[in-house]
Amino acid sequence: MNISTGFKNTLRRGNMKSRDLPIWILGLFIAILWILPFVWMVSTSFKPAKEVMTKEIEWFPRHVVLDNYKKVFEYPVARWAWNSLVVATVSTTLGVLFGAMAGYALARLNFPGKNVFFAVLIASLMIPTEMTIIPMYVGFLKVGLSNSYISLILPTIANVFSVYIFRQFFMGLPVELEDAATIDGASRFGIFWRIAMPLARSPLIAASILLFTLNWNSFLWPLLIIFEDKMKTMPVGIAAFTPVVGTHTQLEGFGIAMAGITLLSLPGLLIFFIFQRFFIEGISRTGIKG
Amino acid sequence: MNTPATLPFWQRTRLRMRKATWNYQRIDWSGYVFILPFFIPFLTFTVVAIIFGSYIAFNDWGIMGAPQFVGLANFKEAFTDEWVVKAFTNILRYGLIIVPGVTVLGLIFAVYVNKRWYFSGFVRAAFYSPNVVSATVIGLVWVWILDTQFGLLNKYLNMIGIPNIPWLTSTQWSLIGVSIASIWWDLGFSFVLFLAALQEIPRELQEAAEIDGASGMQSFWYVSLPILRPTISMIVTLQLIATMRIFSQVYMMTNGGPAGSSDSVIHYIYQTAIVRFRLGYAAAVSLMLFVVILIVTFIQQRLIRESVQ
Amino acid sequence: MAMHKKISRREFIRLAGLTAAGTALAACAPTAAPTEAPAAPAATEAPAAITQAPAVSKPTEILHWSWLAASDGEVWKQMIDSFNEAHKDKNISIKMEVIPEEQFVPKVVGAAATGQAPDFGWGTAGLRAKMIKDGVVVPQDDYASKVGLDLTDFTDSSLKASRYPSFGNKLYMTPMDAMSLQMQVNLDHVKEAGLDATKPPTTAEELMTWAKAMTKMDGDKVVRSGIMMTGSGVQPTVTWGIVARQMGFLRASDDLKQAAINPEAGKKAMQWVLDLFDTHKVSTRDVTDRYKAFGTGEGSMFWTGPWTLNGYIEQGLNFMTVFFPNVGGELHTYFELGGLEMYTQKDPGRYEATMYALKWLSDNCFLWTTKGRGAAVRKSVLAQPDYKTAGSPWEVRGAFVEGMSFATEGEIPVLEAPNFTIYSGGNFLAKTLETVWVGEKTIDQAMDEIQKQWQSDLDKG
Repeated sequence: MNISTGFKNTLRRGNMKSRDLPIWILGLFIAILWILPFVWMVSTSFKPAKEVMTKEIEWFPRHVVLDNYKKVFEYPVARWAWNSLVVATVSTTLGVLFGAMAGYALARLNFPGKNVFFAVLIASLMIPTEMTIIPMYVGFLKVGLSNSYISLILPTIANVFSVYIFRQFFMGLPVELEDAATIDGASRFGIFWRIAMPLARSPLIAASILLFTLNWNSFLWPLLIIFEDKMKTMPVGIAAFTPVVGTHTQLEGFGIAMAGITLLSLPGLLIFFIFQRFFIEGISRTGIKG
Repeated sequence: MNTPATLPFWQRTRLRMRKATWNYQRIDWSGYVFILPFFIPFLTFTVVAIIFGSYIAFNDWGIMGAPQFVGLANFKEAFTDEWVVKAFTNILRYGLIIVPGVTVLGLIFAVYVNKRWYFSGFVRAAFYSPNVVSATVIGLVWVWILDTQFGLLNKYLNMIGIPNIPWLTSTQWSLIGVSIASIWWDLGFSFVLFLAALQEIPRELQEAAEIDGASGMQSFWYVSLPILRPTISMIVTLQLIATMRIFSQVYMMTNGGPAGSSDSVIHYIYQTAIVRFRLGYAAAVSLMLFVVILIVTFIQQRLIRESVQ
Repeated sequence: MAMHKKISRREFIRLAGLTAAGTALAACAPTAAPTEAPAAPAATEAPAAITQAPAVSKPTEILHWSWLAASDGEVWKQMIDSFNEAHKDKNISIKMEVIPEEQFVPKVVGAAATGQAPDFGWGTAGLRAKMIKDGVVVPQDDYASKVGLDLTDFTDSSLKASRYPSFGNKLYMTPMDAMSLQMQVNLDHVKEAGLDATKPPTTAEELMTWAKAMTKMDGDKVVRSGIMMTGSGVQPTVTWGIVARQMGFLRASDDLKQAAINPEAGKKAMQWVLDLFDTHKVSTRDVTDRYKAFGTGEGSMFWTGPWTLNGYIEQGLNFMTVFFPNVGGELHTYFELGGLEMYTQKDPGRYEATMYALKWLSDNCFLWTTKGRGAAVRKSVLAQPDYKTAGSPWEVRGAFVEGMSFATEGEIPVLEAPNFTIYSGGNFLAKTLETVWVGEKTIDQAMDEIQKQWQSDLDKG
């Protein structure tokens, strides 16, 4: 076997033809360019203060130091992360559950007003939430519900995307399965819980990832409603390190800010990389010709 | 005649309920129970808040003290406020840059990844990952990349002979600078959608076309693209709505400047409400934005439907 | 079975899409960013506790909100820590929360509206008229005398600035430090240009000589500014404000009835700022972050306040501070008075304890006014022999303190004060001036607009 055949085999195993090579390389190049901001972010987080703003771009730190991270951890970062975790998990669980119930009802159950209801949901997507945020803020304050987990969780449990995802999915399920159960005398909720939901692995995952990411990165609301440092969620806490351009930036803040946002991005990226496999599995599974 | 008057009230009602129909089918009263846990918070936090917000639009209010009714004064002021006009013009310009950018690039990248060449897994992760990070990352990292003197982008442009572009400090370029960062951030969304849709298309279709003599490009254009049309339509609609509501990038990168050249409507609303304390005026502009989004979406849907014909 | 798989595939795609769609849409939903870094704990210096604590039977935790976020915030935290240290066994302590500056007022007002306002916070003299009117900020005269705060020890100007004539001339703030805008000069650049560091520029011509000598060009573009400036935001606005005053422009008449006195001077000042960019070419519009820029040597002369000192000193920058030069004719500069204000509480019993804390902090302000930020407003502190030698070196701090003598441009204490302040990047004044800097409006147009808006603001009272 000479080189040319070996080469051709390698190509074929990668679904490539030799004329695809230049495009393949170009694509890889662009992909690497695409993640350069991350590379710089992480790299800077390990640079000592004086080496952050250099005339020439330095991709790798001259000296790798942990000072920035040490300074970040002088703050209750662990507490913030815990707050975010608690809030995001509860929000996601409730949001997915309520969304699944509502989505199922819209897909399967027959009751007057259901179309109007759905239309209202879709319309609400177009409304700038900023319009609602101030009235909500004042409202929460008046009821005395500020600065607590409850105030963080409550506004997030009614999520329209969750409903939409489940509705679309349930509409696609064959009715026969459920009819069988109805004949056997199961209650509506029983059918929902015991038959429909176990089949709903894909929307469950999709909605969960969506809601969790949304909640984790949620910013404006926690910023407004939380007054105490130890109740802050992670994005709000970390944002304290990030000098907004033009106000009070002094050099050493930058390295620390990079360390802060590296930490902040970790959970999101981790979750994505873990669940990416489920996505792939799902996609490749259904790619098998049935 | 099926509900004998002899039965007690509740039993009669239950019987009637069980037989009630809608759309020629029996009504599932349990449906209301199913939607209740969603509906109550939705009603409270979204609907009521919106109604309240709309009411405020006709008032003058500064958190402390009671709102004072001013009728249409806020709206009148908004129409003549040059900053408002600028903000609305800007979001349309943002739409014109970001939506095609995200759609076209997303599609190209998805086609590439769909080929399943070597390292396609890495490439897929690379293109989607910006989507999961929060706005602070955009603000900090991209502000540095777009810095006029020290920024990465200008450094590389210099290498090919292009002089430094003041991405964030000039009225001509600020909007573009923010758009670039936005495309990087938002692309993952259209990318993954296209990818999923592409994987739906059976390979045989494209291969059949190629056997018939069509080139790769042609088979894509005439075979795959029509199948992707609904996906494209959905992406354009959603991205357009999202772009018109752009906020975090503007806030973190330029704060709307210089001279409002990169300002977005939502950013302006935020400044008005939080910084300048004019909640009534902010609410009025919010309502205007909602209407504009509705109109633009409607037009855009029409355009797409017609292009299919 | 095949049927089933086909359906789920289609559905799956829609789901994948929806996930992404949702993320995108939501990602573009409101996410704001607050601002600056909070204080990082540093070594505590414990000034002596001078008076005795009030008789507090139960543990009182005084809630304090601060928006200081630059290096001054770090020193302020030390002050709070030393209070708590000195009162360890006395049942009284201060709990400090750092709130982003931009949201400070709305949050305080919002909290006050529901009876949950903090006990005290940082205020700026002259900007609180609206909050006083709404009853958010409470007058301190009675409590001050109760806890024995010695008002005679304060400089007259500081007390005057903390009173509001339209509200019974009561004292609404305990002044803590006075800041003036002066000129920081990069000594390395001075040496490089062969200039004499002992003879800093004091007139417009001298300023230009220095500026041109230290500016570095690359072809037609400025790459190192002789005069540190930005194309928009606070820097050009405050520069205009000061130069305009020096040229004889008054934002409001003394009786606060007429706006924009001597507009020709104001227009001249706008032209002067524009000339920096376009005629003399000693500044460039392409700077985004002026603090960082000066720190990295992108500019030679920087008009700023003492809140930057700590950071540049820590960084090891070789600089000195000199007086703002007399560019327009009369020597004036910007003046800001910072102090502590008390907010309305549901339980009026809290005021006394809070006032006590304010008194202690003021009595012990030596650290704050030598290392933290501006010049002391307590005559006794100013008179202390080591006032000039302690804290930050006098070469960089002195001008800020001594320059107070001509720092006259403060706030206009009316309801719409924020529209008048020259130290702002986003208020009405700054935004209007921005259109001039970028060439969208003519100087005459801008001056016209400013005059009209200010007049209607003054008419409101």
